[in-house]
Amino acid sequence: MSLALQKYLDDVMAYVNRRQEDAIEIRAELEDHLLQKVAELEAQHLPREDAIFQAIEDHGSARTVGYGLRKGFALLDVRTEGTARGFVAVGPKAIGVIAFGGVAVGLFAFGGFAIGAIAFGWLALAALISCGSISLAPMGAALGLVVLGRIAIGMVAGGGLAVGLWVPWAVDRVSLLAGDNGIQLLQHFRNYNDGVEMIVIAVWFFTIFPFLTGLMGAIESLEHKRIKKTDPKLVE
Amino acid sequence: MKSLRKQTLDGNVETMLLAILETGPSYGYAIVKELNERADGILRLGEGTVYPVLHRLEEKRLVSASWRTAENGRQRKYYRLINKGRKALAQNRQQWHLLTVVMKKVVHSAARLSPGPVLKGASI
Repeated sequence: MSLALQKYLDDVMAYVNRRQEDAIEIRAELEDHLLQKVAELEAQHLPREDAIFQAIEDHGSARTVGYGLRKGFALLDVRTEGTARGFVAVGPKAIGVIAFGGVAVGLFAFGGFAIGAIAFGWLALAALISCGSISLAPMGAALGLVVLGRIAIGMVAGGGLAVGLWVPWAVDRVSLLAGDNGIQLLQHFRNYNDGVEMIVIAVWFFTIFPFLTGLMGAIESLEHKRIKKTDPKLVE
Repeated sequence: MKSLRKQTLDGNVETMLLAILETGPSYGYAIVKELNERADGILRLGEGTVYPVLHRLEEKRLVSASWRTAENGRQRKYYRLINKGRKALAQNRQQWHLLTVVMKKVVHSAARLSPGPVLKGASI
């Protein structure tokens, strides 16, 4: 088989990233397709080099084909294109128990737009804890710049117990603009029934969140290294 | 010739592949060829993108797959439509039929009622 075809298949398989038995079958299937296509183009009097080039071109981008052939919902799915789906999912769009991406949906979601039980992102929407520039957790705790939550802490805050610079609407409020100070703030927290939530926020923010962020970063970097090993150009 | 947009196509390639396999077992390359012939140039898919769909159909147990030795001696994976796939294809066909009827009625009648673009300088 030609080197160009082998190289193309190597690239596809770098993205496929399945266990060896599956990978061998997938590669054999694609190889059969490409060889048959080349043979047919050659039969139409196309020079061999052109036939190979044409076959690869018609087959589609290695990345699109490779990612398409990944397992449906893997333990770990890291990709640089499309939607990652897995227990841990990292990608431009990610759906998983732990999801990390431009758009992330998961139990723990991190991303530009994050939706989850616990969400962290530029725009975060969460059932329990959300943290982000715009952060919404109507039933739980929200931290960020503009926040809305049962407990809301931010520049502009609203909800149940809201603490912020400006608190336009809240059941119970501490507003620095309105002249509230630290003592009043502590008093509010002490009186508030769900003080446990504050502890959860603190634990989450200072331990779990940095740990998960670091873990996601490490996973992404490992994936890049793995693909780079096949061909450095693939990660450029 | 105009071609279909990807969004229009999403989710429907499965039905097309099931329909192709309805005529009998086949393998990737032959399926792609048949698809291109039937689509008559309106549909342009990356040939390799058919494989993820075939694998998905296999995972959903709508088709079964087996390896056989081809006439050139190479191992080749053949896909065959099974009962569950036949049922799914029948359902999808029915859905498509209904959708086409509705689209024709709604979109075409809307086009008939629409006054069309107003031309500059046109008068009634």
